[in-house]
Amino acid sequence: MKLFLSGNEAIAFGLLEAGVRFISGYPGTPSSEVLPAAVKLAKQFKIDGYFNWAVNEKVAFEETTAASIANIPVAFVAKQVGLNVAMDPYMNTALVGSDGGLVVVVADDPGPHSSQTEQDSRFMAYFAKIPVLEPSTPKEAYLFAKKALNLSRQYKIPVMIRTTTRVSHSKEDIEVGRLSNYTIKAQFNKNTDRYAATPHFRYLLHKQLNEKIEKIKNNEFEIKTYFSGKKLIITSGISFAYLYDIITEYKLTDKLTIAKIDMPYPLNEETLHRLTDKFEEVIIIEEGYPVIELQFRKECKGREDGTVPKEGELTIDVIKSILQKLSIMPEEKSSKLIKPPFKRPSLCPGCGHRTAFYAIKQVFKDDAIYTGDIGCYTLGLNLKAVDTVHCMGASVSFGFGFQKAFGLSNIKKPVVATIGDSTFFHSGITPLIDAVHNNSPFIVVILDNSTVAMTGNQPTPTNTYNEDGSKATPVLIENIVKAIGVDFLKICDAYDFDCMEKALLEAKDYIENYSSPAVLIFRHPCIYTTEGLKNNPRFKRVFVDEQLCKGCKICIENFECPSLIFNGSVVEIDTTTCINCGQCVVSCPFDAIKVEK
Amino acid sequence: MKLVIIGVGGMGAISLSKTIAQMAINKNLSVKSSEIHGIAKKGGLVEVQMKIDEGLSGVVLQKEADIVILLEDLYFQYAKAFLNKNGILITLTKEEKESIKKEFGDIKFANSFILGRFIKKQSIFDKLDAVEVLKNIKFSEKNLKAFERGIG
Repeated sequence: MKLFLSGNEAIAFGLLEAGVRFISGYPGTPSSEVLPAAVKLAKQFKIDGYFNWAVNEKVAFEETTAASIANIPVAFVAKQVGLNVAMDPYMNTALVGSDGGLVVVVADDPGPHSSQTEQDSRFMAYFAKIPVLEPSTPKEAYLFAKKALNLSRQYKIPVMIRTTTRVSHSKEDIEVGRLSNYTIKAQFNKNTDRYAATPHFRYLLHKQLNEKIEKIKNNEFEIKTYFSGKKLIITSGISFAYLYDIITEYKLTDKLTIAKIDMPYPLNEETLHRLTDKFEEVIIIEEGYPVIELQFRKECKGREDGTVPKEGELTIDVIKSILQKLSIMPEEKSSKLIKPPFKRPSLCPGCGHRTAFYAIKQVFKDDAIYTGDIGCYTLGLNLKAVDTVHCMGASVSFGFGFQKAFGLSNIKKPVVATIGDSTFFHSGITPLIDAVHNNSPFIVVILDNSTVAMTGNQPTPTNTYNEDGSKATPVLIENIVKAIGVDFLKICDAYDFDCMEKALLEAKDYIENYSSPAVLIFRHPCIYTTEGLKNNPRFKRVFVDEQLCKGCKICIENFECPSLIFNGSVVEIDTTTCINCGQCVVSCPFDAIKVEK
Repeated sequence: MKLVIIGVGGMGAISLSKTIAQMAINKNLSVKSSEIHGIAKKGGLVEVQMKIDEGLSGVVLQKEADIVILLEDLYFQYAKAFLNKNGILITLTKEEKESIKKEFGDIKFANSFILGRFIKKQSIFDKLDAVEVLKNIKFSEKNLKAFERGIG
């Protein structure tokens, strides 16, 4: 059967086909589609298993490790910064090893396109001493997923598959195998020397890990060569696909030889040196950090000597310019790239977050420090109600840090933190405990749209169902906030400006008089969910009264809805994108925006 | 063949690319695509680059494409930049779009119409390859009719 699959869908297919029956992770671009694809396939082919999101990556990694120790083939899925969150169990699982087979799927984001870093997870494999397979195409992603599980089972070691945005989100025709159900049989062979090793036994586990990785290096490392030129390029991942296309397209087959490495760690340098000694020049081109290059330990051109740029995505254009600089291919007449007309990313028309940010800004103007977080609501930047974005949950800990720093300086400075519902569950709860415990008066606004919106509307712990559609018990944010000991808690619908304004003013008063955080929950379902769609359209029509509009653009500047358009003299509503929610009405000081019920 | 489809979110650029990919799979030709979409969910640029029966990556550079299908006029200059010397741009006039919307009830059927145009402009696929795929998708009757209209 031939299917047209993305790299992420291909990984899901390969994992299930190889026997994986337990997948956990946390959504993050470009990795988000792997788990939903597994859920879809499991339903289609009636495969038993557990395929659901965890509250964060650390939890997901621990869950998958345990299931692997219970002898079930498992996989963990995250983006590169998600693996950072899971570092603690990840490092230790490498040491303890896996039983049922454990595949660590990590999608990197060189560029970066939608991440805070462009780190290379292959170094994380190197760091933990686990093998990493790096597919160049969706077809290889499918094959490597199966290979990773088999390697993991054979050597009882977690095996990483590292993809990048371009592999995860490309599609290809792939000849796939059969998916069929089997009876899952968990078993646990107690062994405290391994599963509860005291520090005294840890070095033994480390020794075993070193032995495993040495065996894998000697038995599993291979180099595939293509073409027959005098200069050698060593490559891996998406860079191989790009190089292959450039060489065939520009007929460079007699100028270059390509050595493709599927497993960049552990690298067998003897095998590699036997090949490279035959060439007059060696160039290493790999997406990310110099992982192969540093293990190569011989003279070569690459990232270290500046031949390959040290940052940014290694696009096909960048690779072409490297080959031109090395006189391997002729310089082309410089032609400027045409860029598409720029559209600033913005919260969707009808998004409840916009009204919430607008209310926050109306109350605190430019006086407050606004700590933000990771999610759609990072776009509160456009409403100038976000000053910092660091990592998951950091809005609350940054709020704490700023409040204490200014408190120590005896400067009165209100701090308003904004965090989404899923991000609050992921990493916002622990810093809030710290804020209560250490008497830190600042405001935490939880923007609850009851979904992980930015990565494609995955469910959150407040939902009554999980990714696989099975019934789940909703965990209420307000119960957590109360249980932590927060005294000031108000909840408003994020479409209710008056409620939010009142709550914010009260919270402002509270943090001026008490030494404790104030928490506000501004709740409105994402308009991209069934629940959210139920609420719209709220009006028959939203329109601008041309007689009243002064063309001041205050609505556009402060409310920042893409459906508000200035036509040169007055503001108009773009009816192709407006969903008639009427939220913008409040932003006009002249009452020129009207609604028709 | 190197092909680029350019539209905005919600127009069906990705569905159109899947239809063409299925046509390639049915003919046992290799097919790769690379999708680029902006952060904005609604109304943002959606660009699908495709290689059929060639290459390893789905990436198509500017000045390389044999055919560009443009679904949104805003990106006319950008779309043109992808064409190679003999490249062909396929797009619909405003009048054509309006008449499709009037006749079929939804502008999305313009994609089947444009598929008809595409069939005429290249030599890998013929009419029957497209019909084979279209008859198995949603609203197949209307899509087939719009497709016939596009072939002219």
